[in-house]
Amino acid sequence: MSTALKLSTSGGPDGTRVLTAVGEIDMSNAAAFGAALDDAVRPDGDPLVVDLTEVEYLDSAGLAVLFPHAERIALVAGPLLEPLLTISGLADLTTVRSG
Amino acid sequence: MTGAGTDPRTRADVFAVDGEIGPDLARVDWSNHPLGPPDGWPQSLRTAVRILLSSRFPMWMAWGPELTFFCNAAYRRDTLGRKYPWALGRPANEVWAEIWDDIGPRIDTVLRTGAATWDEGLLLFLERSDYREETYHTFSYSPLRDDDGALVGMLCVVSEETERVIGERRMATLRDLGSDPSVIRTEQETLAFAGRQLGRNPWDLPFTLTYLFGDDGAARLAEATGVTAGHPAAPATLSPDDPGARWPTRTLCEGEPVLVPLDGDGFADLPTGGWPDPPVQALLVPLRQQGGTPYGFLVAGLNRYRELDDGYRGFVELTAGHVATGIASARSYQAQQRRAEELAELDRAKTTFFSNISHEFRTPLTLIMGPVDELRGRLRDADERTREELEVVRRNGLRLGKLVNSLLDFSRIEAGRMQARYQPVDLAAVTADLASVFRSAIERAGLVFEVDCRPLPQPVHIDPAMWEKVVLNLLSNALKFTFDGTVRVVLRAEDGQAVLRVADTGIGVAADEMPRLFERFHRIENARSRSDEGSGIGLALVKELVGLHGGTITATSAPERGTEFTVRLPLGVAHLPADALAPAGAGRAPVSAEPFVQEALRWLPTDPAAGMVPDDPAPVDGPTPALSGQVATRVLVADDNADMREYLTRLLRSAGHRVHTVADGQAALEAARTYTPDLVVSDVMMPRLDGLQLVAALRADPRTAGTPVLLLSARAGEEASIEGLEAGADDYLVKPFPAAELLARVRANVELARLRNHHARWRTALIDSLQEAFFICDSDGAVVEINAAFTDILGYGPEGLPYRSTQQPWWPDPKAEPEAHRQVSAAFSVLLGQTQGTYTVPVTHRNGHRLWIAAAFNQVDDPDTGRRVIVGTFRDVTAEHYAVQRETALAGLSMRLSQAEDLAGALHGVLDEMRKLWRATAVVTAVFGDSPDPDVTATDPALRWESLPDARRQALLALRDTPLLTPVATRAHGAGIAVEHPDGTMALWIDLDEKRPFTEQDQTLLALLAGHVGQGLHRVHQIDQQRETALALQRAILGPAQLPAGFAVRYAPATLPLKVGGDWYDTVELPDGRIGIVVGDCVGHGLRAATVMGQLRSACRALLLQDASPGRTLAALDRFAAMLPGAQCATVFCGVLDPATGRLRYSSAGHPPAIVVHPDGTPVFLDQGRSRPLAVRTGRDRPEAEATVPARATLMLYTDGLVERRRQPLTAGIDRATATLQEGRSIPVDALASEVMDRLTPDGGYDDDVALLLYRHPGPLELDFPAESSRLAEVRTALRGWLDRCGLAPAHSYNVLVAAGEACANAIEHGHRDKPGGRIRLRAAATADALRVSVTDSGHWRDQNRPADPSRGRGLVLMRALMDSITVTPGVTGTTVDMQARIIR
Repeated sequence: MSTALKLSTSGGPDGTRVLTAVGEIDMSNAAAFGAALDDAVRPDGDPLVVDLTEVEYLDSAGLAVLFPHAERIALVAGPLLEPLLTISGLADLTTVRSG
Repeated sequence: MTGAGTDPRTRADVFAVDGEIGPDLARVDWSNHPLGPPDGWPQSLRTAVRILLSSRFPMWMAWGPELTFFCNAAYRRDTLGRKYPWALGRPANEVWAEIWDDIGPRIDTVLRTGAATWDEGLLLFLERSDYREETYHTFSYSPLRDDDGALVGMLCVVSEETERVIGERRMATLRDLGSDPSVIRTEQETLAFAGRQLGRNPWDLPFTLTYLFGDDGAARLAEATGVTAGHPAAPATLSPDDPGARWPTRTLCEGEPVLVPLDGDGFADLPTGGWPDPPVQALLVPLRQQGGTPYGFLVAGLNRYRELDDGYRGFVELTAGHVATGIASARSYQAQQRRAEELAELDRAKTTFFSNISHEFRTPLTLIMGPVDELRGRLRDADERTREELEVVRRNGLRLGKLVNSLLDFSRIEAGRMQARYQPVDLAAVTADLASVFRSAIERAGLVFEVDCRPLPQPVHIDPAMWEKVVLNLLSNALKFTFDGTVRVVLRAEDGQAVLRVADTGIGVAADEMPRLFERFHRIENARSRSDEGSGIGLALVKELVGLHGGTITATSAPERGTEFTVRLPLGVAHLPADALAPAGAGRAPVSAEPFVQEALRWLPTDPAAGMVPDDPAPVDGPTPALSGQVATRVLVADDNADMREYLTRLLRSAGHRVHTVADGQAALEAARTYTPDLVVSDVMMPRLDGLQLVAALRADPRTAGTPVLLLSARAGEEASIEGLEAGADDYLVKPFPAAELLARVRANVELARLRNHHARWRTALIDSLQEAFFICDSDGAVVEINAAFTDILGYGPEGLPYRSTQQPWWPDPKAEPEAHRQVSAAFSVLLGQTQGTYTVPVTHRNGHRLWIAAAFNQVDDPDTGRRVIVGTFRDVTAEHYAVQRETALAGLSMRLSQAEDLAGALHGVLDEMRKLWRATAVVTAVFGDSPDPDVTATDPALRWESLPDARRQALLALRDTPLLTPVATRAHGAGIAVEHPDGTMALWIDLDEKRPFTEQDQTLLALLAGHVGQGLHRVHQIDQQRETALALQRAILGPAQLPAGFAVRYAPATLPLKVGGDWYDTVELPDGRIGIVVGDCVGHGLRAATVMGQLRSACRALLLQDASPGRTLAALDRFAAMLPGAQCATVFCGVLDPATGRLRYSSAGHPPAIVVHPDGTPVFLDQGRSRPLAVRTGRDRPEAEATVPARATLMLYTDGLVERRRQPLTAGIDRATATLQEGRSIPVDALASEVMDRLTPDGGYDDDVALLLYRHPGPLELDFPAESSRLAEVRTALRGWLDRCGLAPAHSYNVLVAAGEACANAIEHGHRDKPGGRIRLRAAATADALRVSVTDSGHWRDQNRPADPSRGRGLVLMRALMDSITVTPGVTGTTVDMQARIIR
């Protein structure tokens, strides 16, 4: 049984693409999260917005999926996740907005 | 000498060059001189003079028609002498008139030819002193020309060499005198040699005369050089008393040199030596002798052409010294020569004497031995004594004959008259036969005799009689000096020689004695031997005899190891004179071996056990005629000659004495100490200790100092007897002595000594009659006298006296029994240090028994010597001592048994007590019960049945089967006993030190103690069983064994050994997940209170389960308690806690308030919901109150035993407890419980029951889940909930959650990647200000330092960043990650 995680991709109001994750991301479902990312990220064009505002748990498994796409994504995260993104160094590679 | 020549200008011009000669030259009256004034001199002359004067080298010159003489300062100094300044300006032939004959022609030649001359070392007799002087010069004449080039003079450059030439001449003479004195033997040769050398130097010694003093003081001419004998100056003799003698003999005789002028009639026509004219003086020098008057003197005619200066005088004296040395060595050589000749002459005379006397002996010997042999035959049936005496005569006749024959052999060899007949024999057979003759004697001496004579490849030519003597002498020698071991005879052919080896394991010969081993009459002094008899010719004779065979004998030896003689005989006949050869078997002249064997047998003790003849009171022949009215005298006879011993014994017994005999001085000394004879009759010459040494030793010992000694010696003469008497002998007899005289002297000495010793004997008898041991010590503590009881008690007799202080033989061994030794040492210092006293100490009997003695002593002054001595007595108190020991041991054992808490403790105590009692190295028991292996208990707690040595296991098994309570002691190892143990038979073994004997008393004591132990163990066992029952019950009464998470309890009953009391605590897990918590306190403590408590606790528990309301529970408990005697007034705190929220409903029945300490330290007292104690007024409701235990706060419930103190308000104790809780809020709750109990413990311990219950909210989270990633979400949920309960802020909580998640992910990835199906444990616990989370997996990380997956590496980084500390502890069964995070308020 994987940890509860809902993923949805949509176009933003300004035409940007948004991947929204709701739930928890750990080693049990990081692969699914990674697949969703792979699908949503475009090699060119505007970066993919990854909305983690509703993510209640994210650990190094999730981070490991995010790192390879760092240059082509922009993160939206709540205050809970922010310190983690900073500590891991991901915040230095990509933009993080408060959700 | 004044005038125109002094014109300063002129002088400056010519003579100013030199300040010494210049002025004198200027003073010459040149105006009247053929050369005229210097200012008129030609330039060439002026130049020559200037050169001359300025030179430092000796020069002179001649110029002009008169050959006017000029010289410089150097020439003046070396050569001119007193001719200066006269010579200046004179004609040269006038100046050197005396040598003009020599030098004139040379100068002529120079002036005529213009060629220079050269002369080296030319002898010139100069008259520059008061006499004509022998001088030597090396010089060159060179021509001088005037301004026109005409030859007008000459310049002489000269160096005088007189000193060198004469010095070399004298040195040569001295050197020759000292050359090769070795060829000179006689005085005459010496003098002739010296004469030849002196004669070769007629210049320094024109003539010499050597006079030697005779015994009459007159001097005789011994040698002369340069003068013919009969010359008036060389009279043949000179009398010291004749004042008109030619030479002053007397002065010289006194050692003084004299210078004699040679004038007067007697010195006319003296020889001239190397000179034209005779000497005018002679120097007379004594020929000095070291430490005596001079040998004579040397007259040396002196060279008249030389001054007698120090050099000349020294030369003559050295010459005389050489002559004197020559005379000295010649005379000493001659003296030695003469001495050697005299000695040789003496030796010849001695040999002749021995030869003669031996012949003289042989005749009477033959006349003795013949009739004796006849008598022996005829008196075969005579009485024993007669036959014995005949045997003595015969044996000694044989001995004498052997000695005489040896001496005779010697003189024959010496005189070259030994007639050997060499015949070919089977040397192996002959030698083995000879050796066999000695077998019985050697074996009787207790030695091993090995004969190994292998057949030789060819017959050996020997003279059988001589060979017999060689072999027998070597064997006799070996037996004499060997006391144990082996005598070995080996014959072999080696390197073309027959080699006989006779080896022994005897005393050996010291290295410095080896060179003299084969010397005639040489005997090694003080060598230990079987007999001191011997003439010292045996080995010398052997050497001579071997030499006659063309062979050699050598010996190798090592002291105390033995000696080996090796005889080598050449094979064949080439080395033997042809006329001495005989055919085989021809005319064998058998020499009887009997004398050798007989003699050897007499060296052996007659009693094989000892060298002492037992004291036999029965006389040899008939009854002892007792001395009138006296007890028989005890006489100790010491003589190494067995015949002499027997003779003396017979003689003395016939006079009624009791006789004790010994064979040497040492044995005599030992016998004198124990046998206490009335008289000692001793030979002087004896092995080991001779007679004189024996006397000295006897006198030095207070026990024997008064025993009279009569010395017997073969050495006649005043000196010998004085030596004996000086040594302290009372009388002295020279062998041979008339029997009557010996008996008379024995009797006189004994009676004198009896009189002297009467008081001493009386005293001795008195002391010996004492029943207590008696001893006298000198001031150093050495025991010098003892009585019979002393010997009875300790086993040490008077023979060992004195027993030197410290470590006397009865002292216990300091190593084996240090304590006993220390006691004796201490007593010994009391003995020495105090004037009187008593002590009881352990001592060791001679046979090894332990004894206890009680001694009393006094210091007294010896009236004879004035010296302080210690007189003491003691008695054997061993029995008393052991009785006391037994009682003490029993008491100790009973104490141990009664104090023991259980069977094992009792057994340990018993073993310990036994070990101390016997000072055992170990005590081991094995109980043979139901289990397969016996149950071992030992003083070494680590010992198990398997680790016991096999021998010990066997011993214990054997003991099991012995009858109960019957001690088994072995000599070497210890003792054991079988005892009844509640679990079966118990074998008990005591390991003793090897030296510690296990005595009869020890065995009795062991049996006694073992009986007590058996009973004691059974008693302890019974008590044990009862107590175990009680403990099981108590455990049942006490609270639950398992507590819910977050709780910690402590319980301390006031009454030991009970484990329960009137207080209790309890936790009850209620069906709704809440937890009931109860702490109560019944009145009183001890067993009664405990029984009440147990019922109350159970009731309360049941009530809570039924209705989770504290108030109603207590109200119901009221009713229960009312029916339970002793339950009234019990106090109870009852609460129901929701562990999820920390909410607590509670009610208190008169109980002290519970305390909650918040994380910030704020204390809250739960003092609501209070009412009366139990069963005080039943039927009423009880109030309830509610409180919350906040996150990370600590709740404490307790009974008043924790806080109540005499003379202190209860609140003081509560405050103390609160403070402890506050301070300990950061430590885990269980550690805090210990801390509270410790900190509140009153001095002397709690005197009331104490129950303590702590709870920290929330209780730790403990999760155990499969190592699968799918489980992580629910783990997080649980952890998130617990973190909420801990009151953490969401952000902080999230950090912990991620860190724990990473740790779990690691555990899944690393710990269980290779081993699926493992489990993970997560534990989280909180204190007031910190969280601790640990994640443990059951796998094994492949490499915890280098995670394979980089994202896992990121995980570790995250954990470190999110938590305050991370510790990873890898283990065999799994890895634990321990993380801590501080909670900042």
